[in-house]
Amino acid sequence: MSKVNPLFFALGIPVLVIVVLMAIVIPRFAGGGKFTDLSPFSVDDYRKDWATLQGNAYRFDCQIEKQLAYEEGKGRVLAVKPTDVTRGSGRVPLFVPLSAGETFEVGQRFKCKVRVVRDLLVVEDLERF
Amino acid sequence: MPKLLCSFLGYVAFATLAIAQAPQPGAAVSGGGGGDYRSSSGEAMGDRLFDVNSDSVDMENGSMQWKGKTFNLGNSRAMRMRFERYLASPAAGGDMTKYIATLTQIEKILGPNVVTQNNIYASQQAAFDLLFVAAEHEVDGNNCLTIATQVKKVWSMRAEFRDLNINKNQLETLRKIQEGVVVNRAERLEEANDSKANSPTTASGGKATLNKTSQGQTELGFRVKDEQRTQAEILAKNAEMIALGLKAQVEFQSQMVGFLLARRYRHCLITSAFYRVLFKGGNQNIRVGAKEVKEFFPVSDFVPTLESVDTLAREAMGDVTTGMRTVDDLYKQGELYGAFERLQETYFLGEFEPSVMMYEQVKKREMLDLWRDLRELQRLGDERDLANVEAYVNKVRGRARDFPGAAILSRVNNAINASNMAVLSAKQAALSGDTAKAESALERATKIWPQNPSVKEFANQVVSRQDKLSLMVPEFDRMIAEARWREVFNKKLEFALALAQDKPRSDKLREVINRVGELDANIQKASVLASQNNPYLAWDVIVEISKKESDDLVLAKTRSDIAPLVADYARLIGLAEKLEREGGEAAALTAWMAAQDLNPASPSCGAAVKRLAALVAKSAAIKAATTTPIPAAVDEVPVPTGK
Repeated sequence: MSKVNPLFFALGIPVLVIVVLMAIVIPRFAGGGKFTDLSPFSVDDYRKDWATLQGNAYRFDCQIEKQLAYEEGKGRVLAVKPTDVTRGSGRVPLFVPLSAGETFEVGQRFKCKVRVVRDLLVVEDLERF
Repeated sequence: MPKLLCSFLGYVAFATLAIAQAPQPGAAVSGGGGGDYRSSSGEAMGDRLFDVNSDSVDMENGSMQWKGKTFNLGNSRAMRMRFERYLASPAAGGDMTKYIATLTQIEKILGPNVVTQNNIYASQQAAFDLLFVAAEHEVDGNNCLTIATQVKKVWSMRAEFRDLNINKNQLETLRKIQEGVVVNRAERLEEANDSKANSPTTASGGKATLNKTSQGQTELGFRVKDEQRTQAEILAKNAEMIALGLKAQVEFQSQMVGFLLARRYRHCLITSAFYRVLFKGGNQNIRVGAKEVKEFFPVSDFVPTLESVDTLAREAMGDVTTGMRTVDDLYKQGELYGAFERLQETYFLGEFEPSVMMYEQVKKREMLDLWRDLRELQRLGDERDLANVEAYVNKVRGRARDFPGAAILSRVNNAINASNMAVLSAKQAALSGDTAKAESALERATKIWPQNPSVKEFANQVVSRQDKLSLMVPEFDRMIAEARWREVFNKKLEFALALAQDKPRSDKLREVINRVGELDANIQKASVLASQNNPYLAWDVIVEISKKESDDLVLAKTRSDIAPLVADYARLIGLAEKLEREGGEAAALTAWMAAQDLNPASPSCGAAVKRLAALVAKSAAIKAATTTPIPAAVDEVPVPTGK
């Protein structure tokens, strides 16, 4: 019976672990995860002319600033700011329907799929990160 | 004065120099003995100005109090002029020392220790001669000549008296002769009657010879008549002598009392001295002016004598001397007002005394200036020209540091305040429509201070009110209709007066005043915030009040001043408002949030965000279901690109 070189285990296991971790972490930092097929949302464009964005869906990574309003049976309006400030840094209102089912706290960060309905950003799906 | 003269010298009509004394009605009897004739209220110039009756020298009535008696010095105008003339005139000229020495010499010559039975006539003659020497001095005013004339008259009366006495003696001698003749004739008649009764009877039983039985009776009757005529002539001479003596006494005493009351004390003393040597001891009692002299000595059963008159004259002279010494001392200490007061009193007590007449002109001139200022001050007080009193009081204080002006100013200020309060009361009454009360209050204010400018102003307002009313009402209505609140506010006082009786318009005016007042307060607040480097909050205030007062010029100016400082903020707010008007609540909310990022403390931004967020939350589901884009997008919708 051939004997496996112990050096193989000593080097192979850490390398495997590193590879697995990189496979998990790199996609996250590289903007990966859910909604990667959507265009990133531009706060500046929205503020400048929301009408040109109507009907479109975007991926919007944001952090909760404040809950502005809550309507029983309908949902809530959150004030959020983008985590990526390259496309605008200002706060925008975000409507989260009750069906989203999440609990929101100030400071939490989410990846959202948002759609511009008339002038309103409506969250269709989201993922906390 | 006439009534006093009547009571005083009813029968001495020739006492032309006598200035009667009379009790002053209401005058305080003060400054009693000891030569202290200062006013009891001399410390209070306010009383001196407004209550002259309390003065020791009463300029209003022309009287002076001394030893509790009031001397009438003539009418007030003449008294003032005389004192002013004294202050303005130079010191009396001539050799005053020599004049006084001459008068003193006369007194000495006639003194009781000098005059004896042997030299009585020589003394009279020597004193008489000196009277002419004294009369040569200007300051004497020829009063010594008056005494000399009086003495000469007594001498003439005395000669006349002697002639009457001789005549009487001669008549007495004649009467005795006539008496002897009557007796002789009566005896002869009796003898004839006896011889007739003893003659022999005839045969027929009758008398042998018939003689006249009434022989000598007729002559006897004539002789008796002659004797009786002579007796009557003697009695007439006696009566004439008595009357002559009495007349001499009365004339002399009148002259003496006249000098006393004319305040020529030295002449009074000389007259008194002459009287003593001219008249016998039994005639030394006072017949003229006894009542008035007694009033100086408040002692019951007091018997006035020549010595009483002497005492009064000497005491007055002493007081004058003391008074002038006080005047000079006060002057040297710089207390000009006190010096002036004492000089005034001393002058009227002894204006003919050498010490008064010879007072230095320079000092008198200073007091003359003070006197004129005081008279002007009194005139202002009499006319209640309160506005100018203070200036004059200060002027007098400048001249005389001891002038008690504080009391006057206090009274003046009280009067001014009272008058102003009355005017205020009149205004309030007028505004409330109570005309009677307004008139009463205005009358009170005018009485206290006739020249009160507030009274004049109020009177003008009342007079022009009716005229203005007819113009102001249409103007007010027009401004209100054109919403010219600022202009109404600027003329609020005029409108308030004109519309006082018009309640609906007054209420409208009050509303406008409050509105513009609030607007001004907000403008002020915005200006302060802007100056404190807080332009966004200032803009919030401006925007808020602009919603209600968009046409106000002052607000517009303030807005234009602040606008450049908040251009981005203003643009965002303007955009938000525009979006909201167009139905883009979410976009408006976004714009408001952007504005809030610039001005986190803005209450208006906070309120708008809160309001729009609620609205968006409520209408979000509806929006989500809506398919029609509003507003219509012009540009193409960017297609999301996959990664």
